[in-house]
Amino acid sequence: MTDDAAPHISFATRHRKVLLGGFSVAIFFIAWQATFLFVPFNPLFISKPNLILDSFVEMLFSGDLLHDLAVSGVPFLYGFTAAVVVGVSVGVVMGWRVRVGYALDPLMTVFYASPLVALAPLVIVFFGVGVSGKAIIIFLLSVFPFIFNTAAGVRAIDRLLINVVRSMGGTEKDLYLKVIVPGVLPYIVAGARIAVGRGLIGILVGEFFAASEGIGYAIARFGDLFALDKMFACILAIMIIAVVLTEGIRWAERAAFPWRIGQ
Amino acid sequence: MSAYIQGRNVNLTFRPPNRRPVRALQNFDIDVNEGEFLSIVGPSGCGKSTFLNVLLGLAKPDSGDIMLGGKRIEGPGTDRAMVFQEFGLLPWRTVQSNVELGLELKGVATETRREVSQRLIEMVGLVGFETHYPHELSGGMKQRVGLARALATDPDVLLMDEPFAALDAQTRDLMQVELLRIWQEAKKTVLFVTHQIDEAIYLSDRVMVMTKRPGQAKKIFAIDLPRPRDYEMRVTREFNDLKLEIWNELKDEITSR
Repeated sequence: MTDDAAPHISFATRHRKVLLGGFSVAIFFIAWQATFLFVPFNPLFISKPNLILDSFVEMLFSGDLLHDLAVSGVPFLYGFTAAVVVGVSVGVVMGWRVRVGYALDPLMTVFYASPLVALAPLVIVFFGVGVSGKAIIIFLLSVFPFIFNTAAGVRAIDRLLINVVRSMGGTEKDLYLKVIVPGVLPYIVAGARIAVGRGLIGILVGEFFAASEGIGYAIARFGDLFALDKMFACILAIMIIAVVLTEGIRWAERAAFPWRIGQ
Repeated sequence: MSAYIQGRNVNLTFRPPNRRPVRALQNFDIDVNEGEFLSIVGPSGCGKSTFLNVLLGLAKPDSGDIMLGGKRIEGPGTDRAMVFQEFGLLPWRTVQSNVELGLELKGVATETRREVSQRLIEMVGLVGFETHYPHELSGGMKQRVGLARALATDPDVLLMDEPFAALDAQTRDLMQVELLRIWQEAKKTVLFVTHQIDEAIYLSDRVMVMTKRPGQAKKIFAIDLPRPRDYEMRVTREFNDLKLEIWNELKDEITSR
């Protein structure tokens, strides 16, 4: 539909979503900063946005921050990739085969619903403090959104569409490529958005318990050293990554699945 | 001389797991001539949709023969195409891409596909909507896409399973007029399942009334109203006499449960 009946919309109205969202973020930091105009400031207990920003910039340019992020990024990549592969495969089978779904659903729900980070010390004991231990924690935390979302996506496939493709002489391969994959893909991407957040928790928790470098380790160490502005700078870095990843996925979703808009 | 589509003693029983078997068709006979527009009316669940699925090749009868142009129907084929009540459009495909689906499955080259889809999109009056997605279309427009998609592979037989039932009354009237125009242009054999006696009479050369489940052919009415038919024809005496006759035949099947 063309939009020719709306010529006089102000800049503020057009971008009000971004402006209002940014406004509340700004208010939050201003309020934080302003609090210490009235409350005595003790750098051993709390930090202020201006100090955090200073530390952030300093650590960014010294390369420490990027080094820690890179160290943590490797197990994240392994763990997350494994979660996609395993989660999607298990989810497809659970969604397609009714009995497999019945059999595995309660067990998977138990794992998904329970705080698996409690298992982190055990995983560290089994697999050590290196890449593999962290990757497994990340995998454990992020695999379940993929399983459940993929299964839901497969179950949601309209039988009618399968019949349509069959009736036009479509083969099994056509069913997969033209109905099942395009139908399930958006569910998988939505699962990825949830999984990213859980995976980031995994990396922090893994490194809190035992590590010698990495962003989670940095947060824990700066906390122990009462270097709170640096600790918050690391947390800020994680926050930025989390927002970029989830918003990036959301953006990719809109770009890749335009037909989902309005559904 | 045998008919173009010929069904003899077709029996089909559904056996859903954990449920009682349901006899959908029992000794069902049908003859359809080439180029004919035949409507099937019958009570809900009488097996009329099932029969279309058998013709389409998606459902296999337990016994009986169904021949199309002298050949037994063994499975899906591009000589038949269905227009579904719930449209069955792929939501991730644009109008054009949906229309081209059957050609794509046949492996037709892109340029040829474009030509065919463009011609059909024009025929069903959707020019300008080629790149729209189904969720951006009204019900009537969706079914125009469904019709164009069915016609794209140039089938000999068009199967229509209550295609206008999900549309509002005015859109339905409009679509009936359009369908007649397209049918006269494309010269297909049409099997049209409906609940609406009006619709059946207005469109058809013949109307078959089916019994309640298990479905059998009960009576066939020849509709000798002149073509081309216009909307005003629906208020003529002949039209209403036929309507009453068919209704009387159908009434017993609906009320005697």
